[in-house]
Amino acid sequence: MLSAQERIQVAQVWDLIAGHEASFGAELLLRLFTVYPSTKSYFKHLGFCPDETQLLTHGQRMLEAVGVAVQHMDNLRAALSPLADLHAQVLRVDPSNFPLLIQCFQVVLASHLQGEFTVEMQAAWDKFLTGVAVVLTEKYR
Amino acid sequence: MVHFTAEEKVAVVSLWARVNVELVGGEVLGRLLVVYPWTQRFFDSFGNLSSESAIMGNPKVKAHGKKVLTSFGNAVKHMDDLKDTFAELSELHCDKLHVDPENFKLLGNMISIVLATHFSKEFTPHMQAAWQKLTAAVANALAHKYH
Repeated sequence: MLSAQERIQVAQVWDLIAGHEASFGAELLLRLFTVYPSTKSYFKHLGFCPDETQLLTHGQRMLEAVGVAVQHMDNLRAALSPLADLHAQVLRVDPSNFPLLIQCFQVVLASHLQGEFTVEMQAAWDKFLTGVAVVLTEKYR
Repeated sequence: MVHFTAEEKVAVVSLWARVNVELVGGEVLGRLLVVYPWTQRFFDSFGNLSSESAIMGNPKVKAHGKKVLTSFGNAVKHMDDLKDTFAELSELHCDKLHVDPENFKLLGNMISIVLATHFSKEFTPHMQAAWQKLTAAVANALAHKYH
């Protein structure tokens, strides 16, 4: 699904995130909850106003999973199968929420990378994250 | 009708004052056409859209992006009255241009991303929330007269 060039773009962007999964993830979640408050409905365990520690912890977990996806762009289904099971059986996040997360992810990347967030990077990451979302919701029914 | 708080209005207006409409408009439309290539369907007359560099450098894309974002400036001035402000444009997009309103949401999202590249940390979560609320409201206003 991703071309060779797109995979390079995805890997290049990941290199900038790797090592900063917690802070990136925390900012991602903060933006998600601020811009799309309804998404907080899936995070009742974090409380109505999640604090920084909670955001960092959960953000790190999510970004580490993205890192797994980056390492296995050739075979997302196998690599993300346990997470797909989790989302289908336990979390059951409505699929309409994934584009909201992806939008916030792009904004985090854009605000950190600024002019270096080229249109090719944006296109490759949008395609990649959309593919991840498809795999995570594939077992829903 | 969408209600914007005083803080949201200040956030939007203050950032807008610093936006280079010509530059940002071209980037927003260019990125839309690259990241979501099916949106090129509305721009057959624009000439060369065959590659990322062709799109981002295309003078018609830049000109039209400027036009679209200039129109957005109207939204910033009339945040309390978007449906009336965009009534005519809504009819145009339905009756003449035949644009699926889903595209307005895609463009709105692109505006936030491009603003983030320009304003970086200043484009805080609250700033993003205000802008995404505005772009979503404009998208609704543009879809309002569809029939």
